[in-house]
Amino acid sequence: MSLIPFRTKRSLGMEPPSFSSSSLTDFRNEMNRLFEGFFSRPAVAPGWFDTIEPGRWLPAIDMAETDETIRIRAELPGINPDDVDVSVSEDRLVISGEKKTEAESSGNGWTHRESHFGGFSRAVPLPETVDPSQVSAHYDKGVLTVNLTKSPASTSRKVPVITAG
Amino acid sequence: MIASPQTTAPAAGSPPVSPEAGLTYRPNVDIADCGDSLVLIADIPGSSAEAIDVRFEDGVLSIDAAVLPRPAAGTTVRREYGIGGYRRSFQLGDGFDGGQIEAGYQHGVLTVRIPRLAAVQPRTIPVKAS
Repeated sequence: MSLIPFRTKRSLGMEPPSFSSSSLTDFRNEMNRLFEGFFSRPAVAPGWFDTIEPGRWLPAIDMAETDETIRIRAELPGINPDDVDVSVSEDRLVISGEKKTEAESSGNGWTHRESHFGGFSRAVPLPETVDPSQVSAHYDKGVLTVNLTKSPASTSRKVPVITAG
Repeated sequence: MIASPQTTAPAAGSPPVSPEAGLTYRPNVDIADCGDSLVLIADIPGSSAEAIDVRFEDGVLSIDAAVLPRPAAGTTVRREYGIGGYRRSFQLGDGFDGGQIEAGYQHGVLTVRIPRLAAVQPRTIPVKAS
């Protein structure tokens, strides 16, 4: 075992990096911001074939299906149900609309903003063809739910296997 | 095309999707300064007025919200957001009147109005000409 003489960085001619309290605070704030951004709800949901036009945003969705139905939900807090349009073709659902800014902005102004405002549009390719005449949608507590019925031709059927002889 | 708000009962035979235990999300919040008060607007979709707890203690405003179970509908094909509670707190400091805070919930958005104490509200002092 060998003994290594203790030398400070100063004695080696190296100045320790100087951290002022403000730079440490800046660093901590930046780390907090990164962590909060990482763990917060997704700002923009990645879509399959969606493209985001400038000034527009994409709502996040979830989709579930049974043999006969498809149900799609989107979280759209703070939107007037009259400002939402749902259109359906055989293999595509489009949710679009506009989120208007709150009246509070008429005071001294916003000091902090995180939510999305303006137009939004989300096109969702459907896993199977649906009957456009059998669609229902309702909006409750900021959550839009769209229920679709699959076309009879596309519903899966159990095919019996016939044995010869 | 959108029907009026309604509560959908779970379909027979399909259990509701309960909020995932332990998962808590940080809601997006906008803050407006209205002079005599601060207005805090938080996106909390899927909750209810009864399930939201707003507290003001030692200069800290905290929001704690549970979300309601959502009816299940077969197999999940795509999922871009989780279901869990919402929690966030703000250090506001002194100068706010905790007894006069008002909160409301509509369309998945919580609005909290926090009045400033009269003693610390900005005042305009008229200057008289002699």
